[in-house]
Amino acid sequence: MKNRQPLFHVVKRDQAGPGRQLLAYVAAVVLALAVGAMLLSVQDVEPVTFYRQMLTMGIPGSRYPWRAVENFIRLFVPLLIVSLALALAFKMRFWNIGGEGQFIIGAICAGWAAMKLGESLPRPLVVVLMALCGALGGGLYGVFVAALKVRFGTNETLLTLMLNYVALYILQFFAETKADWNFFLDLESARPKFAKFPDNAQMLTIPIGPFNLNLSLVAAVVLCVLIFVYLNYTKRGYEIAVVGDSPNTARYAGMKVGKIIIRTIFLSAALIGMAGAFHVSSAGILSASVTNDVGWTGVVVAWLAKLNTVGIVVASLLITVLQFGCQTASTTYPSIDANFANLLQGVILFIVLAADFFTRFKLVTRSKTGKEAAK
Amino acid sequence: MNDSMSVLTLFLFNIVLVNTPLLYGTVGEIMVEKSGSLDLGVEGTMAVGAIFGYLAGCAANSLAVGLLVSFLAAGLCGLLFSVLTVSLQANQNVTGLTITTFGLGLYFFVGKGIGEKWPSMTGASALVNGFSAIEIPVLSKIPFLGKAVFSQNGLVYLGIAVSVLVWWYLTFTKTGLRLRAVGENPGAADSVGVNILLYKYIHIIAGSGIMGLGGFYMALYMSGSFEGSNCWINGYGWIAIALVIFANWNPVLAILGTLVFGFFNTLQIYSGSLAGTFPGALGWLSAVPPQLYKALPFLITAIVLIASSVRKREGSGQPAALGLNYFREER
Amino acid sequence: MEEQRYAIEMRGICKSFGSVAANKDINLNVRPGEILALLGENGSGKTTLMNMLSGIYKPDSGSVFVDGREVAINSPEDSKKLGIGMVHQHFKLVDVFSAADNIWLGDETSGPVLKKERYNIIHDMAQRFGFDIDPRKKVYNMAVSEKQTLEIVKVLYYGAKIIILDEPTAVLTIQETARLFDVLRRMKAEGHAIIIITHKLNEVLEISDRVTILRKGEYITTVDTASADEQRLTEYMVGRKVELNIERPVVDKTRPLLEIRDLTIKNDEGAVAIDKVNFYIRGGEILGVAGIAGCGQKELCEAIAGLRSIESGQMIHKGDNIVGLSPKAILDKGISMSFIPEDRLGMGLAPSMSITDNMLLKKYDQAKGPFVDRKTGRAEARQVIKDLEIVTPSTETPVRRLSGGNVQKVLLGREIKAGPNVIVTAYPVRGLDINSSYAIYDILNQQKKDGVGILFVGEDLDVMIDLCDKIMVLCHGKVMGVVHAHKTSKEELGLMMTGALDLSNKYEDRPAGIARDSRIEETKEVEE
Repeated sequence: MKNRQPLFHVVKRDQAGPGRQLLAYVAAVVLALAVGAMLLSVQDVEPVTFYRQMLTMGIPGSRYPWRAVENFIRLFVPLLIVSLALALAFKMRFWNIGGEGQFIIGAICAGWAAMKLGESLPRPLVVVLMALCGALGGGLYGVFVAALKVRFGTNETLLTLMLNYVALYILQFFAETKADWNFFLDLESARPKFAKFPDNAQMLTIPIGPFNLNLSLVAAVVLCVLIFVYLNYTKRGYEIAVVGDSPNTARYAGMKVGKIIIRTIFLSAALIGMAGAFHVSSAGILSASVTNDVGWTGVVVAWLAKLNTVGIVVASLLITVLQFGCQTASTTYPSIDANFANLLQGVILFIVLAADFFTRFKLVTRSKTGKEAAK
Repeated sequence: MNDSMSVLTLFLFNIVLVNTPLLYGTVGEIMVEKSGSLDLGVEGTMAVGAIFGYLAGCAANSLAVGLLVSFLAAGLCGLLFSVLTVSLQANQNVTGLTITTFGLGLYFFVGKGIGEKWPSMTGASALVNGFSAIEIPVLSKIPFLGKAVFSQNGLVYLGIAVSVLVWWYLTFTKTGLRLRAVGENPGAADSVGVNILLYKYIHIIAGSGIMGLGGFYMALYMSGSFEGSNCWINGYGWIAIALVIFANWNPVLAILGTLVFGFFNTLQIYSGSLAGTFPGALGWLSAVPPQLYKALPFLITAIVLIASSVRKREGSGQPAALGLNYFREER
Repeated sequence: MEEQRYAIEMRGICKSFGSVAANKDINLNVRPGEILALLGENGSGKTTLMNMLSGIYKPDSGSVFVDGREVAINSPEDSKKLGIGMVHQHFKLVDVFSAADNIWLGDETSGPVLKKERYNIIHDMAQRFGFDIDPRKKVYNMAVSEKQTLEIVKVLYYGAKIIILDEPTAVLTIQETARLFDVLRRMKAEGHAIIIITHKLNEVLEISDRVTILRKGEYITTVDTASADEQRLTEYMVGRKVELNIERPVVDKTRPLLEIRDLTIKNDEGAVAIDKVNFYIRGGEILGVAGIAGCGQKELCEAIAGLRSIESGQMIHKGDNIVGLSPKAILDKGISMSFIPEDRLGMGLAPSMSITDNMLLKKYDQAKGPFVDRKTGRAEARQVIKDLEIVTPSTETPVRRLSGGNVQKVLLGREIKAGPNVIVTAYPVRGLDINSSYAIYDILNQQKKDGVGILFVGEDLDVMIDLCDKIMVLCHGKVMGVVHAHKTSKEELGLMMTGALDLSNKYEDRPAGIARDSRIEETKEVEE
C-alpha cells in the first residue's frame, strides 16, 4: 500500500503575490481570445480582422465615431455601477444575485417619476428625482431579502433569484397592459408600447464639440470614487470589511452584524436601482428588456475584479468592450452573433476561476512536506 | 358542450406537453443539489444539451442518438462545473452563472454558425416520429384525462419514469443514501469512507445530463427551428431552479410541481379561450393579467422559501451543506 | 523473547500546521487484546495524532504499521479498510438521517437497495453489544449521550479491529460509562485493540493496560497501568516543576471588580460546559484558571464578554450586573477579553485586515466624523510592534501573514492599549517562544500594578504557579477549588485538574470563590 501514495496533496496557501494574480488574468484573456480565434476559424471567419473590429468597436472609419462612443458609455455605465454595488454585498459574503430585479424596480420607479413629474419640474430636478426614486425602489426591494436573511436565515441566493423574475413580470405587466391608469404607455399607439419620457426626464448631457457627454458617466465616476472612499476610509466601510472577514470577530468587537448587513444591502440595492434610473433616463424610454443582463454580468465582473474597486472599473471596461465590440463586429459577419461575447466571457471566467485555485491553495508533494518538517 | 370539453382537454394536454422540459431540468437539478452543489447553470446546460442533441439527432436521424448526445453534451457542462467547484474549490454561484452565460453563448454561436445549412426537423423522420403521441392502451380511452395525460409523446413518459427512478434511487438505494449524506454533512460521509469527490462528480454530471434531456425535448417541441434572438430554453432553466425548492428537493413532488407551475404557465396562453368557453365560471380569467401567471411560480417559490426559513422545520429537503465547498483538512 | 505483533504501531510521527508543530516524533503502539490510554493535557496533540490514523490528516513524516505491515492512510476510506474505527469527539453524524441510516452509510456488506430489515439488523446488533438504540430515531431528536452511543455502535458495526475513542466518557453518565467499559472489556477479550483518549485518571487506571503520555506535542513515555498511580501519571502529564524567573509583584488589592456566582453555561452541543461556578477577581491580582482541554474555559470567556448567553447565575462588575448586556456595553465597562484559539485567528482578529485595522477593531467608532482614524491606528500599531517586538514587514501587513506568535502579540497589545480594568485572557502565550512569553508576562504584571484585575486562562502550570496570585482549577466545568499560587504544588494542581482532588469545600464557612467583601449583597440592599 506504500506505493499508493498520491503524488501531491492540497494545502491552503497563506499568501499569494498580486503579480501572480495579474499574470493569471492577462493569461486568461489571452487564452480566451485564442480559444475564440479557433472557434472563429471553424466558422471561416478571419480571427485577426474580427478581433480588430471588435477591439476598436468600429470607431475608426465610422462617419459618426462619437455616436459609437455615446452608445458605448450607455452600456458601460450601468454595468460599472451594478458591479460596484454587488461588490459591496459580496464583501460581506451576502450573495445578492438579485441585480436584475433591483435594476428593473429602479427603472420602473424612475419611470414613474419621469412620467408624473417630467412635465412640471425643471430638467435637472427631474433627473435627480428619478435617480432618487430608482435608488429607493431598488433599495427597498433588496433590503427586504437582507432583513429576512438576518432575522430567519433565509437563503439569499435563491430568494434574490426568484425576485428577479417577479420584477421582470411586473415590468412586462406595465409594458403590455393597455389601460387608462397605465401612464407608462404611449396613448397614441393602438398596441401597448412604452411612451417616451418627457424631455425634462432625459439624462443631462454636456456637449463637447459633436460629442455629447452623458452625465451619468460623470455620476458613475463620482460613485466609483465615493464607494472607494466609503469602503476604504469610513467607519461603515471598516465594518463591512470586518463582517465579511469574520462575523465572529465583528460580534466580539461589539458590532451589530445584522444592522450592518441590512444597511449595506440597502446601499448595494439602492445603487443598482439608481443604475436602472440612469439607464432609462439616458435611453429616454422604458423597455421590457431594460437590464441587458447587467444583473448577471455584474456578478461576473465583481468576481473577476476580486471585489476591488479599481479592478471593477477595468473588468467592466473589458466586458463592455467585448460585448459592444462583438455587437459591432457581428454586423459584418452574419454567422457571428453578438452572443459570441458571452462565449468569450465564459471562457475568460472559467480560466480565472481555475487560476484562482492556485493562488488560494498549493499542491505539495509528499517528499517536500517531509523535508519541510525536517528543517 | 363537446367544444368546451375539447378546450379543457387541450388545456390539460398542453400543461403536460409544454412543461415536461421543466421536469427534466428540475429532476436534474435535484440530483445536483442533493450532492450539496447549487448549480445556477441549468439554463445554459439545457441550451447546450438542446442544440447538440438536436443536431446529432438530425444527422443520425435517430431519437436515441439525440437523447444520448444531449445527455453527454450537458454532462460535459456538469463536468466543467465539477472540475471548477469540486476540485478547484471555485465559488458555486459564480461558476453556475458563468455556465449559463457560456452555454447560451455557445448555443447561439453554433446556431448562427450553421446558418443556412441548419437542418430542419421535417428532414429527420425519426425525431418527428419520436415526438409524436403514443396512446397508452386502455388508459388513453378514459374520457378527457386519457387524451390529456395518456396520449402524450414518449419523452413525456420518459420524463416521468426518470423522475420516479431518481426518487427511488435517492430514497431507497445505498448510493442514494450516501449521496444525501454528502449533501447534508460531507464530513460525516467522509469519515465513514464515502468518496466525496467521486459522488459529487458523478451526480453533478448525471444531473446535468438529465437537464440536457429536457433541452432536447424543448428542441423537438420547438420543431427544431432556430431563431437568432430567442433560445429554445427560454427561461425554463430558471423556473426549474425555483421548482426544486417548491418540490422540496423531491423528484416525485417535482412531477406535481411541474403540473402546478405548468398550470400557470399554460393558463397564461389559454386564459382567453377558457374564459370564452366558460363565460360563467371562468369569465374572470380574462381579467387577470397574464404576467401574473408567469410571475406566480417565482412568487410561490419565494413564499415557500421564506416560510420554510421562518419555520426552520426539520422536514425540509434542502441539503444542509448546499452551496458549500468541502475541504477535508479545514480546521 | 516473545514476539507479539502490534495491531498498530506509529513510529516517529511528525505533523505541523503552518509553523505550529502539533506532533513531534511520536511513537505509539498497541497490541491486539489491549486497551491503551492516550493521556495528555490540552494541546498535547492527542487528537491530531489519532486523526492521522483515521485519515483526516496525513503525517509530515514518520510511518504507520498495521499488523506489522507499513501502510499509508490517505483517506478515511483507507483507514476503514484497515480496520481502524474512530469515535470523534465532535460527532460525525447526518442530522436528518435515522440512527440506522447513519450506520448504513458506511456499510459494505449489504446489497445496493435499502431494505426495512436494516432497522432490525442495527437494533439487534446494538443490543448484542449492550446498547439500546432506537434505529428509526432521527439524529436531530437525540440527546448528546444518544449521539455518542450511536457513534460507538457505528464503529462496532463496521467491525473495526482497532478502535479509537476520543474522550468518549465526557458526555456519558456514570452508568453509561460503566456500560461502555464493559463493552470495551468484552471487545478486548475478543482481541480488539483499543485506544482511548481521556484525561480522567481514575478511568485510565480502571480500564487501560498501558498508558502513553504526550506533553506539548512530544512523546513522554509509555507505562504499564499496573505499575502506575495517579501521582506518577500526573507527574508525567504535567512534567516536573521548572524554575522560571517570573516576577510576582505584590500589589494592594482592591475590592472585587468582577464577581461570578453560580454561573452555568452550555456549550454548542447543548451539554453543560460550566457548572455552578463561583469566583471573583480583585484589582491588582492575577487569577489563574487551570484545567484540561475543553473544561469550559472557552465558554466562560465568551460568557464574560457577552458573546454567549448563560443558563443561570450572576456576573457582577463593580456592583453592576452584566448578564444580558451586549458585547459593546461590556467593552465600554472596561472588560477586555482575548482568547487565542488553536488556530489563533478565530476570535478577536480580522485575519485579512492589516495590523493597523486590527488595532482599531474595538475603537474605530470613537473617532470624530465619518472616517476611520487610521493615523492613530498606525501610531498604535507602530508602538505595539516596538513594545512587543513584533516581526512584520509593515503596519499594513494583513494579520494572517504574520507568524503565530506575532499574531498573538497584536491581539494582546491591542487589548492592553485600550486601558481596561478587567482583562480576561486565554492562552496568551500559546505557541510563543520564551522571550515573547516573558514580554507578555511583564505586560500583564504591569497591568496588575496599575490595578487591573486579570483572569489568566493558561495551560502551563509552571508559569501559572509563578505568575498568578491565586489559581482556580476547573474539571469538566466544575470548580475543584481555588488555591494560593505560592502555597500550591504542581502535583496538587494536576490532581485537581484530573478530578482526583476536590478542594472546593475546604473552608466550611464559605464555598471557594465567594469574596468576604462581596459587592453583590450591597446591590441587593440597594434594590430592596
